Amino acid sequence: MSERILGGILLFVSVIGIWLARSFEVTISYEPVGPRAFPITVLILLGISAVALMFEKKSDTVWAPPAVLLRIGSLFVVVLTYAWLFDKLGFILATSLMVIPVARFFGASWKQGIVGGVGLGAGLFILFDRLLDVALPTGLWLNSFLG
Amino acid sequence: MDSTFALLMQGFAVAGTPENLMIALVGCFLGTIVGLLPGLGPINGVAILLPIAFAMKLPPESALILLCAVYAGCEYGGRISAILINVPGDAGAVMTTMDGYPMAKKGMAGPALSISALASFCGALLATIGIVLFAPLLAEWAIAFGPAEYFVLMVLALCCLGGLVGDSLPKAAIACLVGLLLSTVGIDSNSGVYRYTFDALHLQDGIPFIVIVIGLFAVSEVMLMLQQAHAGSEPISITGRLMFNLKEFLAVKWTLLRCSLAGFFIGVLPGAGATIASAMCYASERRMAGKDSDFGKGDVRGVAAPEAANNASANGSLVPMLTLGVPGSGTTAVMMGALTLYNITPGPTLFQDQPVIVWGLIASLFIANIMLLVLNIPLIRVFVKFLSIPNWLLVPGVAAISMVGVYAVHGNTFDLVLGTVIGGIGYLLRVMNFPIAPFILGFVLGDMMEQNLRRALSISNGEVGVLFGSPIAIGLWIVAIAMLAGPRLMKMREKRAETAFS
Repeated sequence: MSERILGGILLFVSVIGIWLARSFEVTISYEPVGPRAFPITVLILLGISAVALMFEKKSDTVWAPPAVLLRIGSLFVVVLTYAWLFDKLGFILATSLMVIPVARFFGASWKQGIVGGVGLGAGLFILFDRLLDVALPTGLWLNSFLG
Repeated sequence: MDSTFALLMQGFAVAGTPENLMIALVGCFLGTIVGLLPGLGPINGVAILLPIAFAMKLPPESALILLCAVYAGCEYGGRISAILINVPGDAGAVMTTMDGYPMAKKGMAGPALSISALASFCGALLATIGIVLFAPLLAEWAIAFGPAEYFVLMVLALCCLGGLVGDSLPKAAIACLVGLLLSTVGIDSNSGVYRYTFDALHLQDGIPFIVIVIGLFAVSEVMLMLQQAHAGSEPISITGRLMFNLKEFLAVKWTLLRCSLAGFFIGVLPGAGATIASAMCYASERRMAGKDSDFGKGDVRGVAAPEAANNASANGSLVPMLTLGVPGSGTTAVMMGALTLYNITPGPTLFQDQPVIVWGLIASLFIANIMLLVLNIPLIRVFVKFLSIPNWLLVPGVAAISMVGVYAVHGNTFDLVLGTVIGGIGYLLRVMNFPIAPFILGFVLGDMMEQNLRRALSISNGEVGVLFGSPIAIGLWIVAIAMLAGPRLMKMREKRAETAFS
């Protein structure tokens, strides 16, 4: 079933993609093949493969049980939030806050999560920002302390 | 030959500077650790370290030395967890569990680890010598390729990978095509037309390579690790002697040689990687050993064969990337992406234009393998300690380090969020058994493929026949179709033979 749905989505994507590609026009062209041909060829092949996928008989997709899927979904949301807050909160705070729930998902206790979070946040900041010269955001709230 | 030797010495001069030696050592160490951690393999190690190497502003040759050392180290590390906990640390080490774990259970963990380290070294060393001998020749031959041949060659690489990985042809094809499609996002360099940017400023230069790589090999990997989370089994402790003895060495000497050579040639072929090489060599050694061998119950040859093969093929797969600019595996595709970040276009001219980089890299492979052998025999107990890193610390660590890399290179959170979303989609596709290597290869090759196609058709004034115009091109087309259809036809025939018997 999952394959059918995905095949449908991909078919839709390829139709939309080809429709969008109509507007890739150049006023003056020095070459016989413009910017349109390659994406359109790829999209046509993608559409054919999508149809083939929909008609494939066997399906070997095994989704995780709902409870696990829910945890994986939450993990995704945590990482997404982490990505979004990365420079707003600064590396140390954002990382510490991300580690706690992620560690919990992987079976750590609250105490382990908090210690691990602060440790990773501060440790990686020192490693990268101070030792390896890879600049990381400190976040507005810490700037006043670190100068 | 003479000039090759001189160039190789020049390479050693590059790889032998104190900084580069240090970088290689760090890379070997990190690589072994990444390799031995179940769930993380060479492609993850290279993917996560690539942006960091770039952000540390390492010069291109040093960055490549780091990535190659990590790559080589991973192939060594994978066997440690295979032998001690019966879980392969990376895909190439699957076969090592067959005899490695039984050996460890018999109290022979030390010899199993040291003989497999020797096998890894032997495979990698012979393959690196193979690179020195064959790569310049191949590069010289490929210089004659025109844009049409190049285009077909890339089609061939995609077909090989698509034909060999995964069970479903539509899925492999979709992975390739989506990769190619995503590579067209951004301003078209020939005409200045905006393609699929949806008016987003961040997408004008296309989807950054690092963002894709981190999404697929860090974010989605982390999600998969949560799905497969199993209670970590205790590693078997190493008791007794650490070194193999002369008798064991003599038992494996021909196995080492055979599997190293076979592994190298399998590695050079696009598409067939370390996993296939180690499985094939293990099977053939088992057959050659005959019925009354100990294979499957802890035979030293069963440990040596897959390790020699997978290291040899890992190094061998650098050949098509360096000489043709067409990588044949996911990991080498990521490495090629690293080269393009430095504005270096891999291909046959690389040997002439950038001898420092190519020969520095080859020399560093020799150095890295010697380091790895030295690290892996006496220091094995140190590495075993890393097996006890709990996942709850490892996974958030991986997530944080990946974000550090992306942020350091691009300096905005848009790319972090984009990478995470790509990772989420990647997770869904990986659960549905979409192969990831053809996707990354498609993405890396997409732009070159389109450029070569357009150039070829410009030369022929739009005549499509040029793609089938030369004997080389026709030969490549035939091989491409054979590679795409061959493995499946063989599988179908096997199935039919099975049903006929029963």
